Amino acid sequence: MTGPLYLWGVFGYSSSLWIAVGIGFLFGFVLERAGFGDARNLTNIFYFRDMRVLKVMFSALLTAMLGLIVLSWIGLFDYSTLLEVSLLKTYLWPQLVGGILFGLGFAIGGYCPGTSVVGIVSGKLDAIAFFLGMIAGIWFFAAGFSLWGGFYMSSDLGRLTLWQAFGISRDWMALLIVIMALAAFWLTGLGEKWAPYDK
Amino acid sequence: MKQQNYAQGFWNPYAAGVALGLVLLLTFYLMGTGLGASGAVARTAAVIAHEVNPSTVEANPYFKEFYKPGARNPLVNWIVFEVLGVFLGALVAVLTARRFGPGVGRGPTAGVGLRLSLAFGGGIVGGIGTRFAMGCTSGQALSGGATMAVGSWVFMIAVFATAFTAAYFVRREWS
Repeated sequence: MTGPLYLWGVFGYSSSLWIAVGIGFLFGFVLERAGFGDARNLTNIFYFRDMRVLKVMFSALLTAMLGLIVLSWIGLFDYSTLLEVSLLKTYLWPQLVGGILFGLGFAIGGYCPGTSVVGIVSGKLDAIAFFLGMIAGIWFFAAGFSLWGGFYMSSDLGRLTLWQAFGISRDWMALLIVIMALAAFWLTGLGEKWAPYDK
Repeated sequence: MKQQNYAQGFWNPYAAGVALGLVLLLTFYLMGTGLGASGAVARTAAVIAHEVNPSTVEANPYFKEFYKPGARNPLVNWIVFEVLGVFLGALVAVLTARRFGPGVGRGPTAGVGLRLSLAFGGGIVGGIGTRFAMGCTSGQALSGGATMAVGSWVFMIAVFATAFTAAYFVRREWS
């Protein structure tokens, strides 16, 4: 059957919630098995001690990116539905600023939202502190929304992909990302040998 | 690299990444959208505030999106159910690996008080970041990245460039 099934009306909203629990279960299980329940395993990348965050993230990204392309080649996934209906929209400047704040929070706090859940379940008190901090941060964001709500919705570029922005084909863009990721995998080995903070 | 005991017993990172990618691929095939996490935190924040002061939250220009007239409870939502699944899946993974243990992840010379304060402070800043970016490492970097969305790549590059820089200033926390 050609996907995405939900957007094509194969099942309804209440079924999608059960699917959400199942998908989340697999997601949480894999995150834990990757070692992402401990902030040290998540932040060691920034000190070139253990680059597992990059290895896991980029191999996951490549798997899903290439998987979607292969599924669309064999007719099991309608890529144009993704592009027209569900691709995440680009709001250039707010996403840049959001990324900067998020990167600060990640390096200082040691978690991101999904991994803090895995940390909480693993018994980590710092993960609980991070999660409570996020709640407080979101309250702050909502409280001041009249000040930055305009910025939040600014530079709306719509559903825009990298290959459209660069004017090349989807599959060439994917190939470039694969090459970049393989180079990054190779560099992780050098980074772990370098380990500049542990001399 | 010296293998620390907190880093032992996990899957090979590339194998874990491929497994994670297959979960993400399945999600796109079924739903048309990817994984996420911070949206569930935002909805939780809205619901807690709503318990305390409903009228303020329903009038708040950001939170009122979750409380439109006739809308479902903000927690009856795909991403909230997905994160409930994350709790369950991670719990099963922790218990079957016999890895559950109360503790604080920190560098060998960092104090517990310092680490917990910085975790809370980092959570505040990171939480604000997820709202401006409309997502986090799961929703934007990973899911948006796999579909080659421009904003997701801008977010991902900003996150890592900032984190590598900021890490220098908090190295005592982790060393």
